Amino acid sequence: MPVQSATAGNTAARMRRTAWRAFVYLLLIVYALVNVYPIFWMALNSFKTNAEFSRNPFGFPQDMFLDNYRIAWETARLETYFLNSIFVSVAAMALTVLSGSLASYVFSRFSFKWGKWVYWFFVLGMLIPIHATLVPLFIQMRQIGLLNTYAGIILPYIAFNLPITVFILTSFMKSFSPEIEESAIMDGCGVFRVFWNIILPMSGPALATVVILNFINNWNEFSFALVLINEESLKTLPLGLANFSGQFTTNYGAQMAGLTMAILPVILIFLLLEKYVVKGMTAGAVKG
Amino acid sequence: MYLLTRNKWPFLAALAPAVAVYAVFAVIPIFVSFYYSLVEWNGFSDKTFVGLANFAEAFADSVFWSSFVNNLYVVAASVFGQVPIALFFALLLNRKWKGSKLFRTVGFLPVVISTVVVSLVWGMIFNARRGLVNQLLSAVGLEEWRQNWLGDPKLAMLAVCVTIIWQFVGLYLIIFLSALQNIPSEIDEAARIDGASGLRHTFFITLPMIWDTIIVAVILCISGSLRTFDLIYVMTSGGPGHATEVLATYMFDKTFSSTRYGYGSAISVCIFFFSLAMIGLSNFILRRRAI
Repeated sequence: MPVQSATAGNTAARMRRTAWRAFVYLLLIVYALVNVYPIFWMALNSFKTNAEFSRNPFGFPQDMFLDNYRIAWETARLETYFLNSIFVSVAAMALTVLSGSLASYVFSRFSFKWGKWVYWFFVLGMLIPIHATLVPLFIQMRQIGLLNTYAGIILPYIAFNLPITVFILTSFMKSFSPEIEESAIMDGCGVFRVFWNIILPMSGPALATVVILNFINNWNEFSFALVLINEESLKTLPLGLANFSGQFTTNYGAQMAGLTMAILPVILIFLLLEKYVVKGMTAGAVKG
Repeated sequence: MYLLTRNKWPFLAALAPAVAVYAVFAVIPIFVSFYYSLVEWNGFSDKTFVGLANFAEAFADSVFWSSFVNNLYVVAASVFGQVPIALFFALLLNRKWKGSKLFRTVGFLPVVISTVVVSLVWGMIFNARRGLVNQLLSAVGLEEWRQNWLGDPKLAMLAVCVTIIWQFVGLYLIIFLSALQNIPSEIDEAARIDGASGLRHTFFITLPMIWDTIIVAVILCISGSLRTFDLIYVMTSGGPGHATEVLATYMFDKTFSSTRYGYGSAISVCIFFFSLAMIGLSNFILRRRAI
């Protein structure tokens, strides 16, 4: 230690700590800006005319030019895509969670010889690279006449979201103590009554996680929609956006307006229900 | 457990819907694609059985291999881009800073946005004429650094990799943060009493404690990268030339644009086995590490 009075040492240490703190905050702010700025840039420029965008790419719009939103919504049929996306995402999510929670109930509550095998058969599905199934699925859907139908896209969405859904729900349901159900069964409740009246209400947090995870996955899904749907009136939002931007390459404003509208629901869900969103998406990743 | 001896039909009925949908729409297609990979077929006329000819053609196809190499670039970008950046910021955020909750939220934001939107936004950011990158370069007086980012075969893959890194850093950030928060506080305290501080503490105490999580993250990067499709399909469709082609986009192009279902299926099967091999390999490394 160099010869130094105690107070001077303390001051130096405090200054060093403050400097370090400032440096860390600077880094974090840069990181946050890099994360948010692309989205902010898009939202900001969606309110500018093309001329203003070229002239003033960084500043705030001089007057809110809302025509971009009208063009995106009406001309680019965003309305249709939006409704399709809502319907497909919600229907697939509901069916996945319902069938998945029934299956998870069986996996978590009843031990039978082949139950473990069936469970692993499900969970290993998280490893299937979906692009390896695009071609055969397309042919299969053509053969059974489900190409260009809602069912034709909802069924694969269910199939590919079941593994993670079953995984999350089974591990949650395994933690329940069986006593409550046992007494219900003594009283003569059937398996489905126990499931509906006892297991489902107790699974609240895990259900919330899988409901949100399924919705976001379906809302954002692109490859299956690309292959299985080519009728305009059935296209979902990601598919519609992809070819909308092909047609409107010169109209940046309208494109950005469309993209901004498309991400708004997911961002709202994320900000309101962050805990569940993060839990679902990282569970899928860690076990995937 | 209880009820084992009772009527089994309700359990089977409860399992049936999930098993049926999963088997028909996820498992069977995989096996069917094995069969299609052995035929020459345009999707409509009769199939001709050609044995392994499709695979032989793929392995002699230079675009197939350049696509595979691009997949490896994506692996590298994820492993050496996403993981270190995420780890760095996770270590910073692990302290009790004011506002660290906000930084976590902001960090995770790109992860929830649709890949299609991410690709379209970044496509505009890299746009040669009016993109954000070039406008920024002009704004700071680096006019000569402006590039046709997505139009230049040498730069396109770089632009794609930057986008991929941006999209998923947040996922790993959160995974690392939750691992860091699981480190028992006694260990930190003991190390501090023993005089470990700052960087030494990080390198000799913290990192070894979350080593398993880091390896899991690396495995995720590897297995995820072979699935890259949406982003490249929307951003560049594999172009210019085949400069950003990856296996999945090449498979799509061969199947649906050239209507060569057999050849496309052969590429699908390769993707399937490459994925399994990569996952197996990383698992092997993980297990060795655990022992």
